[in-house]
Parts: sequence; structure tokens; C-alpha cells
Amino acid sequence: MKFQLNEKQLGYAMVAPALILVILVTLWPVAQSFYNSLFDYRLNDPSRSERFLSSNMDLERYANDYFYLSRDLEALEGQAPDPDDAAAVAEISQEFEAYHAELLEMDGLAEQYEEVEGMIASFTAIADRDLKYASVENDWAEGFKAFLDDASEQLTTISQNTENEEFSVTAGNVAGSLDSVNTAVIESNFIGFDNYQRYLTDGRMWQSMGNTMLFTIVSVFAELVLGLMIALLINRAFVGRGIVRASVLIPWAIPTAVAAMMWGFLYDGQTGIVAHYFEQFGLIDDASVLLSTGAGGMFSVIFADVWKTTPYMALLLLAGLQTIPGSLYEAAEVDGAGKMQQFWKITLPLLKSSILVALLFRTLDAFRVFDLIFVLTGGGPANATESISIYAYITLFSQSNFGAGSVLSVIVFISVAIISTLFIKFIGSDLFAGKTGR
Amino acid sequence: MNKRAGIGFYIFLVVFVFFVMFPFIWVFLTSIKPPGEIFNNFNWFTADPSLASYENAITNRPLFRYMWNSFVVSTLTTLIAIGFASVAAYALTRLPIRFKGVILGIILAASMFPQIAIISPIYNFVTAVGLRNSYMGLVIPYITVSLPLAIWILATFFQKIPWELEESAKLDGASPFQTFRKIIFPLAAPGVFTTGILVFIAAWNEYLFALTINTSDEWRTVPVGISFYQSQFTIPWGDISAATVLVTIPIVILVLIFQRRIVAGLTSGSVKE
Repeated sequence: MKFQLNEKQLGYAMVAPALILVILVTLWPVAQSFYNSLFDYRLNDPSRSERFLSSNMDLERYANDYFYLSRDLEALEGQAPDPDDAAAVAEISQEFEAYHAELLEMDGLAEQYEEVEGMIASFTAIADRDLKYASVENDWAEGFKAFLDDASEQLTTISQNTENEEFSVTAGNVAGSLDSVNTAVIESNFIGFDNYQRYLTDGRMWQSMGNTMLFTIVSVFAELVLGLMIALLINRAFVGRGIVRASVLIPWAIPTAVAAMMWGFLYDGQTGIVAHYFEQFGLIDDASVLLSTGAGGMFSVIFADVWKTTPYMALLLLAGLQTIPGSLYEAAEVDGAGKMQQFWKITLPLLKSSILVALLFRTLDAFRVFDLIFVLTGGGPANATESISIYAYITLFSQSNFGAGSVLSVIVFISVAIISTLFIKFIGSDLFAGKTGR
Repeated sequence: MNKRAGIGFYIFLVVFVFFVMFPFIWVFLTSIKPPGEIFNNFNWFTADPSLASYENAITNRPLFRYMWNSFVVSTLTTLIAIGFASVAAYALTRLPIRFKGVILGIILAASMFPQIAIISPIYNFVTAVGLRNSYMGLVIPYITVSLPLAIWILATFFQKIPWELEESAKLDGASPFQTFRKIIFPLAAPGVFTTGILVFIAAWNEYLFALTINTSDEWRTVPVGISFYQSQFTIPWGDISAATVLVTIPIVILVLIFQRRIVAGLTSGSVKE
């Protein structure tokens, strides 16, 4: 009994590292993607390059600006040739200091501000995010931003109307500094489900979703039918099995990107042999059709995928066929069943679980298609072959828009979850058969 | 079912193999043409074979560097994945732990995760720890692909190992760990090796993470490197053909040597015994 318990504990200890790793590298990022999708989060925009649930202050920038601005405002007041202008500047200066005082009264901000000031004085760049950014009250941030806008506008007007040139230039500069302080105040970029609303009504999203579904359904169906035919034909003893097996494995084994480059060459309007033969045989009007029209592009992508994956499908189904006992067919023969009847009554039912498992893996693979299309057509022409993964990639990394791109990622994730749930309902516990043991 | 192979069957086989291999044949024939002969010319054979395209392919781009990068990343990935997966798969198939179905379900779900759904947080993470343009920067995300795959296939292989040996080792007083090391592992070695090949190929072929994380040319892997041979204005098909041939050769060798094992590994996860 004691031995049994130890064995059990050991079992958990052996599974734990792998399981934790799997969860860390998959579930955690998906949760992050979902969280990111709730923000207006753009890597290429400094005020949105972080996710802020509340309003924030870039203290490094603010402390730096405050030092100069507070001095410049005072100097400007003294410079003003007209008492009205001097009064206006004095009022701005006063209000600015009042906001500053309010900021320092917030929880723990005085100490943080002092530390930041110290680092600026010693010319140290602040790498620590928690030190650089301080969370501030939303009302205060809103009021401060409105004040800065107002003040900057007021000074610009003053600078334009005054006769004194020196005063005009300084007033203009101070107005610029006020704008700079404004960018240090970062309002929350939490936008909730706004991104979802935007993308669920986005034509390009639905077009890429439609492309992905068309690609998935047509290519997986063609691969299944062709794969099944090939498997049935080569399910026998013959000389040269090794050659056939190797030739079937090579397209599967080469990188998809390399295959896509090869097909890009074969389809090319000027030098592509496949395009050339298609034109010669009258299948297409012009050799350039394959890569320069939407329908041609979609055909090209599907054809290349069928070429790469049908052999793999045939292998999976062949393995399933080989587990069907030959005696069943002999018995059917004795009972007078024809070839077609044998196929529908014996082969197909017994192959069902193999087919479903192969379909599950292939459908999910096809649905997340990226490299084949990305390398072969780049999603073009005119987005006609753009899959949802490519649209998400472009939004994430070409536009650096992590918030919106994450929405598309989450949409892909949910679609994949729905597809697998449907399949697993059909396949049931067969998927785990022969794995869990006693 | 007719199990005899007639002449018609062999004709079908030849046609089938020809169609499957046609792109490789054509790309190979193109790669040995002199670069000037490639355009607007659909002759199958050149009268004047030349290695000029090969020379261009390895001098215009660091192709061997790409292959080395792919090799290092794939090897590291394989070692890490097999290390964690063999231990976990053993416990899942052999030790009396609970929630096996749940654990296998999580692992299966992880293998179905669309990479695009996890790439932006992984990108942020890899950038934050300073691993962009490095080998480890790719090995870490590759665990998402390789570990579930390895556990899934290994679990099937381990299941096929006869029970009796383990029982008798236990009776002789071996600890579970000793049993694993002395009995199970040697018996499981072929399965582990097969899994290793499949994980290696999967890592070698990965594109999305490699494209996003290792953006500097000297850290690119083969699939990404190849896709960057084309520039905005010209597509050097000669170079590309030659590069394709060069990077396909190691895979062809791998497949020719290990084809039986690969087929066994591929089909093990999908067929009921």
C-alpha cells in the first residue's frame, strides 16, 4: 500500500514539469492575448505602447518638463510688456503649480517623484516601468489635460498678438512645453470590447474568415478524397513500397515555406512551367492568371496545399486500412457482396475513427494556415487569398497594433476551439484509446 | 479486395510518384541551368549544365548560416521536448495517477493552439528578456509546438511495451525510477528516437515564430531565409531553385534513412490498435 502511494506521487512529479511548461507557453499567452485585446495598445505610439487600466503619468518626462516649465513661466511673467498678458501668465503659472501640488499629494507620489528627479539629475535613464509610470486619479488627469490644452492655446494667442518680438518667441516656446507636459499624462487606453465591435463589423475580417473557410473546406475535402483513393490503391503488397513511401514523405517533410517558394516558381506568369502547361492545355486563358487574379490565387494556394498534404493523409488512412482484418472481406466475398458494397459496408465504417482523427488534425492545420499563403501570394492579389492568421499577423506586426491584432488572434482561437469541440464530440473517447492504459 | 499488383497498378504508381515528385524534378533541372536560360524557356534539359546558380545562392545570402541556425534550434528543441515528454508520457501510461484524461486533454488542446493566438505575448516576453535574435528566443516558443506533440506520440509508444517485464522488475525489487531507466527506456528507445525525428522536422519547418522573433538576417532559419531570397523588384529563380535543392537534400536523406520510423510515428497517434 505504501509502495502504491509513492508510485502515485512519483507519477504526479513526473507529469508536473511538462504540464506546467505546456500551460505556461500556451494558456498564459492566450490569456494575455485576450487581455491585450481589451486595450487600444499600439507598439508604435508612445502614449499607447503600454496597457494602462487607469490614467498614468510618465514621471520621467513630467519631472524633466516641470523643472524648465516652472522656471520659464515665472520668467515669462516678468517679460510681459502688457499687464493683461502678465496677469494671464501669472494665472497659468499659479494653476500649474496648484496641479503640481495636487499631484504630489497623491499616495506615495512625493517619494516616487523625488526618486525620479534624483535619477534625472544624475542623467540616468529610467528602465524600471514601475518607477517611470505613476498611476494617477482619473479626474485629476482629465482636469490637468484640459487645463494644459487651454493654457497652451491662450499663450499661443498672446504670442501671436503681442508686438514685443522677444516675448512672442518665449510665449510660443512655453506653449510648446505645455503641450509636451500634456503628452506625459497618459489617459487609460482600456477600451473594453470596442475592438471586438470594430472587427466583428469589419469587411476585411469577414473576407479573410471566408477565405480561410473556403481554403479549409476545399483543401481538406480534396485531400481526404484523393488520400482515401490512394490509400485504397496502395493497400497491397507490391515491389517498390519503399520508393513510394519515401516519395510520399518528402513533400510532407520539407518546410511549407520552401514548398511555397517552389510553387511560386511553378506558377509564375513568365517562367512557371505549371502556368505554362495550364495555358497550353487551355485550362487558363493566360499564364499570368494563376497569381494575378483572386480566383487563380485561391486555386494556386489550394492546389499547392493538396500537393503537400494529400500524401500525408493517404499515409494516415493507409495505416487505418491495415488494421481491418482481411477475413472480413473474405467473408463478404463468400456472401456475394460486390466491391462497392464491401467499401461502403466494411471499409468505410471501420475506417471511420481514422478518418475523423485525420480530419480533425487536418482541419485545424488548414484553418490556421499562414506560411503557405504568406510566402506564395502574401495574401494577395487584393487580399483575395488573405487568411485570418495573415490578417492578424499584419495587424500585429506590420501595423504594430497589438490591441486590434489580439482581437483577431482571439477570434482565430475561438474558431479553432469550436472546430475541435465539434470534432471531439463526434470522435468521442476514441481519441484517447490506447493511451491512458489500465 | 484485389491484393495482386498488375501492370496497370505499376503504371498508376509511376504516374503518381512522378506527379508528387514533379516540382522537385523541375526545380532541380532549373537549378543546373545557366541563369540566363531560366527565363522564357520551358526546355526540360539544358545542353550546358552549370553550377552558377548554386554559387549565387550561397554567396548572395548566408544559406549555410541559415541551415546551421535551423540545425541548432531544432536540435535544442528536440532534446528539451524529449527530456520532459518521455518522463511525462511514462507517468501517464504506466503510473496509477488520476486525471489522466484531463491531462491528455490539456496536452491535446495545446497541440491544437493556433500559433497566431499566442505569438504577441510570446513576442513581448522574448523581447523583454532580451532573447530576440538568439537561439533560445526560438527554442522557448517551439516548446508550444514540440512538447504536446512529443507527449502525444510517446504515450502511444510506451503503451505498446509489454507489461510483464515491468512487473518482474518490480518483483525483483527495482524502484519505479530504476524500472524506467533499465527496462522501459531501452525498450522505448526506438519510439523515443522516432518521436525525436518528428519533433526535429516540426521545429525545422516552423515559420511564424522564426519570422517574427529572429528578424536579423544572421539569425534566420531556413524557411524564413528562403522566403527572403525574393526582393521587391526581382525574383532570382535560379538562386531560389539552387537554395531549395540544397536545403531539401538533408531532409531527403533523413526521410530515406528513417522512412519506416517516420511512418510509424505519424500514424501512431491517429490509429486505434
